[in-house]
Amino acid sequence: MKNVVLNVQDLTVHYKISKKVIHAVENVSFKVEDGEFVGIVGESGSGKSTLAHTIIRLLPINAIVVGGRIELLGYDVLSLGEEDMRKIRWKEFSMVFQKSLNALSPVHKVGNQLADAMKAHNPNLTEEEIIDRLKQLLRMVNLPERVLKAYPHQLSGGMMQRIMIALALLNHPKFIIFDEATTALDVVTQGQIIEEIKSLVKSLSLTGLVISHDLGVVSELCDEIVVMYAGRLVEHGTTEQILQQPLHPYTQGLVRSLPDFARERRLFGIPGNLPDLSESVHRCVFAPRCPIANEECFTTVPSTEEVDGRRVACLKVGARV
Amino acid sequence: MRFRTDFAKRYLSSRYGLAGLIMFLAMLIMALFAPVIAPYKPTDISHDMLSPPSKVHPFGTDHLGRDVFSRVVYGARVSLTVGFVAAGLSALIGIVIGALSGYIGGVFDEVISKIIDSFLMFPVFFLILIIVAVFGRNLVYIMLVIGLTTWPSNARIMRAQTMSIKEKAFVKIARANGESPMRIIFTHIIPNGMYPVVANSAMQIGGAILTEAALSFLGLGDPSVVSWGKMINDARSYMSFAWWSIVFPGIFTVITVVTFSFIGDGLQQALYPKLSEVRNE
Amino acid sequence: MDVLFVKYLSRRILSAVLLIVLVITINFFIIHLAPGDPATIMTGLENPSPQIIEALKRKYGLDKPLVVQYLKYMTNLLRGDLGFSYVYDQPSWKLIGPRVFPTLSITVTASILAFALGTYLAVLASRLRRKFGDLFLSLISYILYAMPSFWLGLILILVFASKLKWFPTSGMFDMRASYEGFRKVLDYLHHLFLPVFTLLLIQLPVFYRVTRASIVQNLREDYVTVLSAVGISNDRLFKKYVMKNSIIPAVTIFGITLGFSITGAALIEIVFAWPGMGRLLLDAVFRRDYQLLLSIYFLMAVFISVAMIVTDIVIAILDPRVRLL
Repeated sequence: MKNVVLNVQDLTVHYKISKKVIHAVENVSFKVEDGEFVGIVGESGSGKSTLAHTIIRLLPINAIVVGGRIELLGYDVLSLGEEDMRKIRWKEFSMVFQKSLNALSPVHKVGNQLADAMKAHNPNLTEEEIIDRLKQLLRMVNLPERVLKAYPHQLSGGMMQRIMIALALLNHPKFIIFDEATTALDVVTQGQIIEEIKSLVKSLSLTGLVISHDLGVVSELCDEIVVMYAGRLVEHGTTEQILQQPLHPYTQGLVRSLPDFARERRLFGIPGNLPDLSESVHRCVFAPRCPIANEECFTTVPSTEEVDGRRVACLKVGARV
Repeated sequence: MRFRTDFAKRYLSSRYGLAGLIMFLAMLIMALFAPVIAPYKPTDISHDMLSPPSKVHPFGTDHLGRDVFSRVVYGARVSLTVGFVAAGLSALIGIVIGALSGYIGGVFDEVISKIIDSFLMFPVFFLILIIVAVFGRNLVYIMLVIGLTTWPSNARIMRAQTMSIKEKAFVKIARANGESPMRIIFTHIIPNGMYPVVANSAMQIGGAILTEAALSFLGLGDPSVVSWGKMINDARSYMSFAWWSIVFPGIFTVITVVTFSFIGDGLQQALYPKLSEVRNE
Repeated sequence: MDVLFVKYLSRRILSAVLLIVLVITINFFIIHLAPGDPATIMTGLENPSPQIIEALKRKYGLDKPLVVQYLKYMTNLLRGDLGFSYVYDQPSWKLIGPRVFPTLSITVTASILAFALGTYLAVLASRLRRKFGDLFLSLISYILYAMPSFWLGLILILVFASKLKWFPTSGMFDMRASYEGFRKVLDYLHHLFLPVFTLLLIQLPVFYRVTRASIVQNLREDYVTVLSAVGISNDRLFKKYVMKNSIIPAVTIFGITLGFSITGAALIEIVFAWPGMGRLLLDAVFRRDYQLLLSIYFLMAVFISVAMIVTDIVIAILDPRVRLL
């Protein structure tokens, strides 16, 4: 059995927003082994982003980790002080942020900012060494050198996303989280970036997570998939298992809504909306939207069971929709 | 309807908005009930010249023996009137011109935009000064002139609002239904888009009050009314031995303008509630 | 970048020139449409004789139709002739010239100080975050913003000049003593303090509020999260990245304030009997000295336009996104 790089146990994270408590992540557990990529899939509000940010301890002030344990590369992440966290964040592990309008400072040159990032963990490098490393990184992500002298707004979406990837690879991390790294891109660019990520992951022997709402993206990049809904883990299995034999009704809905151009079927969605995350419920959280829910589903919280070689949290597991 | 109660609730939850509202109500009462509140008539001369604050004259008397407290109370009338009329006129003109410009577009819009930009780049106070100096020193003129020279900032806001509202579904539906542009502008666009202008107007009320005070200070105010600015000007020669005659009118001017700044802030918060600190999922 | 920049610059200059022309034209016609016959007013007499009026009219070209006067005025301007003051019987520039430095010494000094202090306090306030200091500064900024500049000036004179006698009550120099050289400069600075302090207090709140809002907004931006995650220290992040982004609105305000200096300082010049352009302007209004008035307006328009262009250039240097416009 391979080394476990990331071990998340019973993680629960809440947010406090003006007197309300939002249950963003509830009792989520999973492991990531050396050399593997696990995808975390779910719609907006499923808690996947909160989960990712908790692992690297980049939560906003009003977030509280209520319970659980995170072991990453041997570190007990949740119990580290801020200073210690700063030392290992971006050295041992990093995150590829989603390219957004102001992901980097708009009034400073890109190269300038990347250099500062380098200096932060490597204060003793000379200017030359820094530039060399940056050029090397740019080559890795297929970007021309002139990007260093440009300002963020002058770059295309695809280029900015690649910069974010280069930024994450700055200090040769062992573990990487891709947080919605392809979401803000057009389909064509998205495809390119996915291919590039695949080859990078292989050539650098990386381990990590891919966070996305897009099951298609996650299935291309990952060996295992964790499906989240309203802060809970509803299913966790290998990519093959999830795509070909989804057990949880929500997962089944997700798989069905993947556009299948080969067979030219209609587009399917999952009817209904996310529940109010500020309520603490004593039932299956998906029940209101579930096509096969019965009375039991509305009164009992399903536990995560091992079924068919993967984990599911559903009272009616195995029933086909 | 629900929008209005939400709006009111948000406004009242803002510290500044609430404070401003209370202060405004106090000012309003002072202005409306001036004859009742003021112990003397503002023009009553007495032999008690330049006497310091006392039980009889809580704010002292000026160089003509007039009770400063009474004059300050009556002065509120002038200030509030100037503020509301001038800002109201400015808002009215600004809303109409801004909405028309934003809706009609084209050359008309370009011309109006240039005019708006020119006004905004120009020190309006001196324009007002010249006009009042040259055409006449009465309160109605002053209010009119302030209103006629400060509408561009409102117009600019309304224009931006119009341009975004006219793309909305319900406007397109109205157009498809054959409603005339005038009807669309006045029944759909203006009622929905005018709120930021209202917030701006609150600030303009303060501005108008300060402008009137400055004009009065320069001797260009209406000589027939009691204005705080004029009181300050009158008190100038005596201020070193009668501080009360200059301090109190000024304090009240400041309080009044602060009141409207608070209200403007409260309106801003009600319109654009601050985003919470949490990052979105 | 250079080609874009040049294009940007030339467009701004063109706008500025058009603006100046527009402003002068409007002023010209307002002033000349005023009621009252300028010639009569100039004589200062109740019932001037027709001969005197005729003479004045001919001397100052007041008998020609308005449009002709306008054209003459514009062509004169192009030749650099600012006009002639009826009231003082001197060319306008002679009257305006010596007034420029006094006005600028108040406005430039006050604006720079207000910019520096305002932004500094804003940085301070954003690091305090919800403690008492933040609220306190906020209230002060509301109060200062609401103060009539002339009243503040008078109060400061009352307290610091009349009562405490730390500063002189008015004027730019002590007229009775005749200082030379260094002592003269000291005397000038001594007189300069209160007017500058007044204008500083008046301008401070805007810089404070605008910068504070800008900092608060910038702290919410993604780049702060990203650069902090990457390991850049909070100190460096704030001083280099957040500051440069946050200061841009304040620079714009600085330019505008400087451009509007003349009017901004006018009331203060009156209160302190300071021999500046603002005072001259007001005198001209009261004496219906139209030519002088127009000359000052022209200068103001030029001044404002130049200030705006320079500000735009500085902003374009700071913020590369602007260069696309």
